[in-house]
Amino acid sequence: MVHEGLEGHIPSSFSIVDILISVYESFPELSNGKENIRFVLSKGHGVAALYVVLAHFGILDKSALKEYGQNFGRLGGHPDRHKQKGVEANSGSLGHGFPFAVGLALGAKIKNDKEFVVCLVGDGECQEGTIWEAAAIAVNQSLGNLLVIVDWNGSAAQLQPVENIIEKWRAFGFNSLVADGHNQEILSKVLKEVRKSSNNKDIPTVIIAKTVKGKGVSFVEGHGKWHHKIPTEMELKMIREELLS
Amino acid sequence: MTLRLAFARLMREIGIKDENLVVVVGDISHGILGDFRNEFPSRYFNIGISEPAMVNIGAGLSAQGLIPVIHTISPFLIERCVEQIKLDYAYQEFGVNLVSVGGAFEYSKLGCSHHCYTDFQILSQFSNANIFFPASSEEFEILFTQNYNHSKINYFRLTEYPHEFPLHASQIMTGEPINVSEGDNLTIVVVGSSLKETLKAQKKLNDSKLSADIFYLHTLKPLNLTKIEKSLRRTKKLLVVAQVSTHGGLYASLMTSFSGRFIFESSSIEIHDFIRDYGDWDTILFASGFDENNIYKSAVKLVNGN
Repeated sequence: MVHEGLEGHIPSSFSIVDILISVYESFPELSNGKENIRFVLSKGHGVAALYVVLAHFGILDKSALKEYGQNFGRLGGHPDRHKQKGVEANSGSLGHGFPFAVGLALGAKIKNDKEFVVCLVGDGECQEGTIWEAAAIAVNQSLGNLLVIVDWNGSAAQLQPVENIIEKWRAFGFNSLVADGHNQEILSKVLKEVRKSSNNKDIPTVIIAKTVKGKGVSFVEGHGKWHHKIPTEMELKMIREELLS
Repeated sequence: MTLRLAFARLMREIGIKDENLVVVVGDISHGILGDFRNEFPSRYFNIGISEPAMVNIGAGLSAQGLIPVIHTISPFLIERCVEQIKLDYAYQEFGVNLVSVGGAFEYSKLGCSHHCYTDFQILSQFSNANIFFPASSEEFEILFTQNYNHSKINYFRLTEYPHEFPLHASQIMTGEPINVSEGDNLTIVVVGSSLKETLKAQKKLNDSKLSADIFYLHTLKPLNLTKIEKSLRRTKKLLVVAQVSTHGGLYASLMTSFSGRFIFESSSIEIHDFIRDYGDWDTILFASGFDENNIYKSAVKLVNGN
């Protein structure tokens, strides 16, 4: 898909595949059209993974994946809610999706809806000031119906290292949990528990999901040149072999 | 009644009728919005000093079917939040009402950090934006009521200096210029509070045996240019008086509309650069050329060429 479309952030996408599958498995309403839950991918760089997961859960026609990165295709390198069902927000500029999700959660509270809002942000994205502005507001407005998942894939470490991200969210007043972001079984269990208890809480929750950027492919994992690199035919073959081995 | 008080009163009035109206403020006007806050505590939020997130959050409210009204000082609402407005409301097409105070240089003693001349320039690029510079309480009430729930970007720059010119309610329509004074020698297009000084300049013009056809704008976008064009084809002289940046301002917009279609001469009184001086509003108004004397001189120069 990325190879064909000549666009994409493979490492950022691979780090969130297990998180996305866990979210969509844990909250089947996202697939069946019920409107009591919303999912916002704030780190739009990982949208290739979202498209694939949407296709896997039947929200997006699998044949549409061929449109990814194509001229006038509906699946761009960052998502557009007008073009694809299942996309809640046009993310891409980091630090936008999360405050939007806070607005969704606040709106649900105003309307007295029992809507649950899930937002996936990147750890690099947590360097944006709007993340922390919105975090303070979410706590101040007692948004217990809000769950943030931080894809802790180490992106921030290559920029401006932040070693205490858990303590930061906790200091802002979030109910803070840590989980293996590649263990779907544990993630699903935590997600369901958070949602189950959300009705009785007035504190938003954050799950710091420990992940590996480029998970599953040894030469892509980590940082550097693969951030926005398009694989050659040979590299694509090697990626497939590692993922299927 | 000041426009800010009219804003507070209208929020309460609409809030009673429309349970989707949500008012979000950035630590400003929370005193005068007390009635709204007390009657609708679940629909009033003083977000504090977090303007980008405040504007961003409004899009989430809009996505929930609510009607956000976001209010703070112009530079912090518009210039600081350009990307939020662009991505959340222009690109994603969520509706919002942005209501500012202190536009142009009304916080004249605070300096450039609190000035905002580029709000028109920034917002006019967005096809779904409506831009209003009302300069009377009645104008604001009518324009807001006409537009607040149309899922657009509605921007209202409220002034502390109303023009005090009596207008009939039936004259106030979105996008329609008002011909407040008729004349033959030039066409003046004037925005918001500058109408007051422009009408004083008209008296001086009359003393000099000159007269201007004056069109007052409370709406900068959309803008019906039919009457202005008709006047300009007759006078062949255009003077624009607007407290906006010259760069991509109203004058540039009108030139884009009229240039190459017929021959006329033109000039503008807008804001070319930072207004770096401190002083009371009248002083800075004079120093910036928005006073009656400069408007008069600019008009005479345009008409007589000297």
